[in-house]
Amino acid sequence: MTRATAPAGPRERAPAVTSSSPAAIPLRMYFFLQIALSGLATGAIYGLIAVGYSLTFMTTKALNFALGMWVMLGGMLTFSLTVQYGVPPLVALPLILILMLALGAVAERFSVAPFLRAGSDVWVMSTLAVGLLMIDFAEIIWGRSPTPVPSFFGNAPVRIGALSILPQQLFIIAIACVVFFALDLFYRRTLTGKAFRAVAHSGEVSALMGINTRRVQVASYAAAAAFAGLAGFMVVPLTLAEPQMGTVLGLKAFAIAIIAGLAAPRGILVCGLAYGALEALISGYLYTGIRDILGFSLMILALSLKPEGLFGRPVEERA
Amino acid sequence: MRPPWRHLQWLALAALVALPSLVEGSYYRYLGIIVFIYGIVAVGLNILAGYAGQFSLGHAALMAMGAYTTALLSKALAPIPFFQATGAHIWLGMAAGTAVAAVFGGLLALPALRVRGPYLAMVTIAFGWVIFKILQEWVSVTGGDLGIGSIPKVRVGPWMLQTNQFYYVVLALFVLALVFQYRLVHSPFGMRLRAMKHSELGVASVGVDVYRLKVLVFIVSAAFAGFGGTLFAHQQNYISPDNFQFFSSVFFLLAVLFGGAGTQMGPVIGAAVLTLLPEMLHDFDKFRLVVYGTFILLTLFFLPTGVMGLFERGGRQFRLVAPADGGTRAVAQPLSGLPDLAGAGASLELDRVSRAFGGLQALREVSFRVEAGTIHALIGPNGAGKTTLINVITGFYRADSGHILVDGQPVSLRSMSEAARHGIARTFQTIKLFGDMTVLEHVMVGFARHSRSGIWSALAGSRRSKEETLTTLTGARELIRFVGLEGFEDRPANALPYGHRRLLEIARALAVRPRLLLLDEPAAGLVAGEIQALAAVIRRLKATGMTVLLIEHHMDLVVSISDRVTVLDYGVVIANDTPARIQRDEKVIEAYLGQAHAAA
Repeated sequence: MTRATAPAGPRERAPAVTSSSPAAIPLRMYFFLQIALSGLATGAIYGLIAVGYSLTFMTTKALNFALGMWVMLGGMLTFSLTVQYGVPPLVALPLILILMLALGAVAERFSVAPFLRAGSDVWVMSTLAVGLLMIDFAEIIWGRSPTPVPSFFGNAPVRIGALSILPQQLFIIAIACVVFFALDLFYRRTLTGKAFRAVAHSGEVSALMGINTRRVQVASYAAAAAFAGLAGFMVVPLTLAEPQMGTVLGLKAFAIAIIAGLAAPRGILVCGLAYGALEALISGYLYTGIRDILGFSLMILALSLKPEGLFGRPVEERA
Repeated sequence: MRPPWRHLQWLALAALVALPSLVEGSYYRYLGIIVFIYGIVAVGLNILAGYAGQFSLGHAALMAMGAYTTALLSKALAPIPFFQATGAHIWLGMAAGTAVAAVFGGLLALPALRVRGPYLAMVTIAFGWVIFKILQEWVSVTGGDLGIGSIPKVRVGPWMLQTNQFYYVVLALFVLALVFQYRLVHSPFGMRLRAMKHSELGVASVGVDVYRLKVLVFIVSAAFAGFGGTLFAHQQNYISPDNFQFFSSVFFLLAVLFGGAGTQMGPVIGAAVLTLLPEMLHDFDKFRLVVYGTFILLTLFFLPTGVMGLFERGGRQFRLVAPADGGTRAVAQPLSGLPDLAGAGASLELDRVSRAFGGLQALREVSFRVEAGTIHALIGPNGAGKTTLINVITGFYRADSGHILVDGQPVSLRSMSEAARHGIARTFQTIKLFGDMTVLEHVMVGFARHSRSGIWSALAGSRRSKEETLTTLTGARELIRFVGLEGFEDRPANALPYGHRRLLEIARALAVRPRLLLLDEPAAGLVAGEIQALAAVIRRLKATGMTVLLIEHHMDLVVSISDRVTVLDYGVVIANDTPARIQRDEKVIEAYLGQAHAAA
């Protein structure tokens, strides 16, 4: 029980504000916007992980409690493939996603499915256990020390008006938006997506309607793992790759999923981005140490006041 | 019911007492102390997670509250001569640490009142994380990552307790913790806790304030954790945030699950094995998480009830017993004497009661009167608003408008437990029993409304608590006989046939000693013989003078036992008359069978 402290989330490497002092907007405003902008990418990562929680919660009323470790796995694999073996990122990504999909399905089979039938919350512990195993094995394979992964797009900031942002950050935000948009289309327009929503609404009735609920459930866990892998792939160039990186990421993403509402995938991206910006602002204006204290307190407060989440619909209890 | 391994406990205790004189060196004593301290925390978590069913992954933080409070207070008070002479500052610090943890436990309960399952797990994790971060960041007070050093050892007067003596002190405290757990669990209060784990609605329906119960159990559990934390601080003399990480909370929950959640000795076994195992595998420190992870998985797969679960429940494993006589047993049994029920039943009057859910008007200006001491049936097609009406009468839902009068007095109930305290009891359409608790225990929980012994008399093991258990035991047996379930007293409810479960729910509701009993489709899913048994019970209830409002679909039953029938359709009362005339009412026939039949 004397384990080294996990790092407190990704460290934003905000682009240096030096060259062109903006004339169009007041300096204070400029700083505010620049800081908030630098947090958006982290927020997008949170959102991407959080949607994984939401996906599995909707189909099984359970979730992979250690999804953060899966982000870590994606990150470490990215490090291995791109840095150690020199595989181009564009080739590495599909490899990682396929592997994560497969592992996610396997993990569902062993750490979630056996306990769903029991109708208990035991999956909290079983998925956590798998996460603990992943941390230790990652430390054995990759060692404990953090290793940098170079950005896929270099480090020259991109300018948006007077503001600037790292290309990697822009990439993350863009991909997250695409993923969420695609997911929304998937849920609403495709038959498989409708099957997902049907299972989310009532597994029993969907089964009666001929939907293979088991397959939908396994698919949701596989997809959640793949989202986590994607998040890991994109985030390591901003942070560092290390076996402990997932714990806090996973917790914060869970916090966001809960604040937005586990059954409200649309709200999750919004909440993720907002939370990322808020974190950056707290770090920028107050100090970094207080960031997680405020963030998690906010989550407890949100949950006490609105248990179904900001974007969720209240569920009437039935007697 | 004294299982043979009961003596094993005393043997184990004797071994622990003898241990320091048997083995050389202080290492094993030290390990013993750590096991006992973790054991105390685990006992606290067991009460919360094992018995009350409230997961917590934040107990390490509560332990930290205790540890830091006593560390800071005892160090601050140390220079004062009085404390220097007596060593009282340490004991004061420990008391304060326990109290602070208890207060924070109460605060933690507030969000826990509204959330369950994974949400509750998340709240407790977040709480743990916030505390951990505060310990790290509030450097001027907590020393940040470096922590607090030179925390004084425990003293009695001028005598500093050596490891050997401290071993016995902690052992004694640990045994005391187990005694408290035993008393709590075997008290009426503890029975309510276990009931809440299985069904919050069920326990609320007999008059238990679930909010209060949850807050209390969080406070008690946190006090155990905080107290363990204070012992930890004075044992280690040095504490830092690292001692109280998220993984420590996982460790405690694992200890409870592995040992057997909701068992007496489970947390002891869990804490011992999980502390000693990594010590034995000292050379494999790299694999600590692998060990824990594997342990969790193996436990969940192969020991879902934990180690002690195999033993403590072993004595009362029952299979589903199908009634050999097709469920007619209850009728066949002569009902020996009526228990002392409420006496005079209450009248109920509904005055233009409305309730909507979003755009759906479930009840529209519903008005009718239920005379005292009658059996009044409420019928109507599915979705007519019958259950909603019961929910409104019992305070589970608030009416949007209208009045409810009991015995002519307007009542405004805010919860089912308040309704029960007003003498309004109910059963549920979907049975809400307490899992594997026995038939007898169910009915005993039902007496909660009349209980005068709470958590403190339970912990103190007061006579009142024990006497009350005996009185309710007698009362419960009477009620079980009344509904015809005698002989099933020690069966777990989840091993009862369906019809018997319905009767058990009625017996539980009767323990409230209601003046008004609301039965929500008690005959649903019953076979013919069981329905007859049910009818007999309801008739006997009427004989006691109780008022019964019965929601039912079985028209035979309704017609044969009710004095009056009210028909609801789409939230509106469409008829209110005697059973005979209701059967011929055209509007009623139309509601059930459609226009064509009504005309024909």
